[in-house]
Order: sequence, then structure tokens, then C-alpha cells
Amino acid sequence: MSADRSRILDLLAGGKITAEEAERLLDALDAHAGAAAEPSGSAIQGDPEPLIAALPKYLYVKVLAANGDNVDVKIPIVLVRSGLKLTSLIPPLAMDKINDTMAEHGMSVDFNNFKPEDIDELIGALRDMEVNVDAKNGDTVRVYCA
Amino acid sequence: MNVPPLVLDLRVVRPERRPVRLWLPLFLLWPLALVVGVLVLVLTLVADALLLVLGRRYHHYTILLVRSCATLGETRGMVIRFSNEKTAVDMTVQ
Repeated sequence: MSADRSRILDLLAGGKITAEEAERLLDALDAHAGAAAEPSGSAIQGDPEPLIAALPKYLYVKVLAANGDNVDVKIPIVLVRSGLKLTSLIPPLAMDKINDTMAEHGMSVDFNNFKPEDIDELIGALRDMEVNVDAKNGDTVRVYCA
Repeated sequence: MNVPPLVLDLRVVRPERRPVRLWLPLFLLWPLALVVGVLVLVLTLVADALLLVLGRRYHHYTILLVRSCATLGETRGMVIRFSNEKTAVDMTVQ
């Protein structure tokens, strides 16, 4: 196993990156290895940190209302992940109440079905997501990761 | 787990009024929170042990407490800004 591959797996084991991010990095590593003339050796020269640093770290929610009310929220993605993982530990009675309340408000998401691998996948998908809403009345909403 | 948030920077700007800036040193609360946390940890450990002995399916209060603290630690870097014609509020967790 190359040193780069080992480092990526260490970062995954340490919880610094998700399984999907590790997969992307390993793919990038393989792509570099394939492109390189050398059949073996380090694909990424030196540190994989720049690749990791290039991953989005914050979720942004920007609301610009036509009436002048503006909201701008910047949430660390690690907080989103940590919060989602916390849902699997909420006592069943409390979770049932949460699910019922959310269903009453039109969001029928059952958090009981959330598994750690689903959360990693969700966070991975969230990084690529971008929502742009332009309402007729001039309100705009943007949700994206950067 | 990251370093927990150390400072809460709150700015409120209103027209024709002096801007208010509050720099709340959260790190001063951590020693107190640690004492409370240890006491609650003991309670959750006892509760989990009892629930386990009673054969209840859910006995994860201790993990819930630890993960909640970890989640709190991840709030560092969060920024919330709100503004309208009368007020602008800017809250940063550092």
C-alpha cells in the first residue's frame, strides 16, 4: 500500500473525511497513477491535504427577500454530519414525537431509518447540491456548499 | 472532536444608534460545563446500566450525551447574519 493511500485511509479512520470523500481521493489517486508513466510509487506528490482542502466545508443558506429582510447562514458541514448522526441516538419516544410533528408539517422523514452509511452518502450528495429559487415577488433563496 | 467554540461574537447595528458589539467568552463557561457534564455523565451511566439490566432496548443516554457535546464542539465556524431596513445582526461562533 502506498503512503498516500495509507494516509487517506488514516484520515477516514480518524473521521476527518467521509467514506465518499475517501473514495473520491482514492479514485483521484488511481487516476494520477494511471496517468503517470511509473507503474508504481506515489501518485500524488507529497501531501493529499490540498485535495482534502478543496472539498467544501460549509453549507450556505442565503435568503434575499424583496421586502428587505436578508438572512445569510454559514453552517460547518461537520456540524450537519454530527447533527444527523445524533438523530440515531434520540430515544424512540422522543423520535416518534419528532417524526409525528414533522409529518404534521408536511415533512414525512423517518429518522429511525437513518443509518451511518446513509448519512455519509447524504453529506456527500449535499456537497454537490445547489438550490436556487427565484420567486415571482423577488425573493431569492440560494443553498449551496463551498 | 474539534476544539469547542471559544468565543461568540455578536454585533447589532441599528440606524441612528450606536452599534453594539458583544464578545462573549464561551471558554469561561467550559469549566462550569465540565463539572455539570461529569455529574450528568454519572447519572446517564447509572440510567443506562439500569435500563440494560431491565432488558430495555434503548440504553444509549451516555452516548447521546457524549455525541451532543461533540456536536456542540462542531458549531465553531458557524455564522448567522440577519438584516433588514431597521436592524442588522451578525453572530459568529469562533
